[in-house]
Amino acid sequence: MTAITVTPNPFTLVPYDVAEIISLLEEAAALAGIPSGVDIALTVDEELFAPLTGHMSDVVDGRVVLWISGGNFEDNKRPCRFSAAQARVDLSVMMLRAKDRLSEDFAAAPLDAQLLRGERAAWDTYAAGRARRRGIDVRRPRQLYDFRLQHGFTNVADAAFERCWQAERVTWQGIREICKETGAADRGPSKVPVDLLRRK
Amino acid sequence: MKKMLPESELARDERFVRTNIEDRIFDPRGPRIAQRDTGPARMGVDRPAAGERSRSLMHGIFVGEIQALEGAGRTCYDFDDEAAPFQLKLDMARQCWDESRHCEISVKLGDHMGTEIGEYTESTFLFAAACNPDPVLRLCGVNRALEGLAIDVFNSMKNFGNESGDPILEFCEDWMLADEVTHVKMGSDWLRRLTATDPERRERALEFQRTVDAIFNLGGFRGEDDENPIQLARDFRRLAGFTDDENDSLAALARESTEQAREMAEAATAALQTSAQGS
Repeated sequence: MTAITVTPNPFTLVPYDVAEIISLLEEAAALAGIPSGVDIALTVDEELFAPLTGHMSDVVDGRVVLWISGGNFEDNKRPCRFSAAQARVDLSVMMLRAKDRLSEDFAAAPLDAQLLRGERAAWDTYAAGRARRRGIDVRRPRQLYDFRLQHGFTNVADAAFERCWQAERVTWQGIREICKETGAADRGPSKVPVDLLRRK
Repeated sequence: MKKMLPESELARDERFVRTNIEDRIFDPRGPRIAQRDTGPARMGVDRPAAGERSRSLMHGIFVGEIQALEGAGRTCYDFDDEAAPFQLKLDMARQCWDESRHCEISVKLGDHMGTEIGEYTESTFLFAAACNPDPVLRLCGVNRALEGLAIDVFNSMKNFGNESGDPILEFCEDWMLADEVTHVKMGSDWLRRLTATDPERRERALEFQRTVDAIFNLGGFRGEDDENPIQLARDFRRLAGFTDDENDSLAALARESTEQAREMAEAATAALQTSAQGS
């Protein structure tokens, strides 16, 4: 039996419904193949609004620990309102990355707060491509632009994007090699902490 | 055809959703965010949510271009040749041509960045500056304030394209920037010509421009510090005919707006805390 918790409960700044989010989490966990019995804890920062978006997926002591900006769930056309369609996309990508972390393939990967931006962009692309093939409405051009911002607007970067997007199996080592190939690994750590939005 | 079209009657298809600036101002999350470090507001690949923030701004630019096209188009039509000389209308017609091209370029840049028409809401406060019944005040509001803002926005986007190594964004913004410099210059030239014998009207027009500029600075959107997403493009503004005094004055106004936004956020946070303690 899997225990799913959402924080805050209830929401006080935005009219988001915890039961609806839990239902979407269950759907995303099933899509990603999260094993039964693995607990899932999601924290939504309801102070953050679009476009201050971001999310993180970690596995701590065998539990899936997720964090997301409230802006990711916000309907771009109706400020403060919840968009199930947007939530479904992000939760699917988050859960696929959590599933990666539960496998040996990503056992050596550091926590999301310690990833380089290039590593994160490549891993997100790998997850987004799989989500798309599982029927989630992920938009490729958006993913491509985000990938290019971290890996460069070059043919080498675009070829690397294509490999991440199409792949059904990539390892943490594979993500690091992609970053070396595009030069993203040479950019070094970000001057702005990658988990800045998560810090209060 | 109706003259002096109010912003509420702008024609849009079903993809566009209009929002009020008040929605954001009275959003209960605003004061809390203002107290948090969300990273440099200035555009850069290192800042949090860089892609999403760029897409959102790009969409804002796109709807701004539509409204600039509508504003220049209305000026061709709203006034007779006595109030607005035919040569002025020719300039506005040329500007319509430019703005139409900018709309198309912005749509393609949106595609390039992974967004689409109508993905974000539209605020029509830019067009509101183009509703003044005096053509001189309207020119100051549109061609000097609004198009001046466009210079700042395009220069910031161009620099972001350069920094992120995105040649498409960099070159597109550079070309549009060149047009905006021309549009501001048209505004400056016509302001001088139409008010050559009426200094009082000129002062009213410049005052209107300052009011519009203050609105565009709202909440520290524009300025010269890292906390301002859009940077004041002094060099390009100079090319467009703004004097150093005008640029200094605008920079001071921008700092004032940023400070006011900070004070409002602090006051709202204090009110929230008091309310929380009382409940």
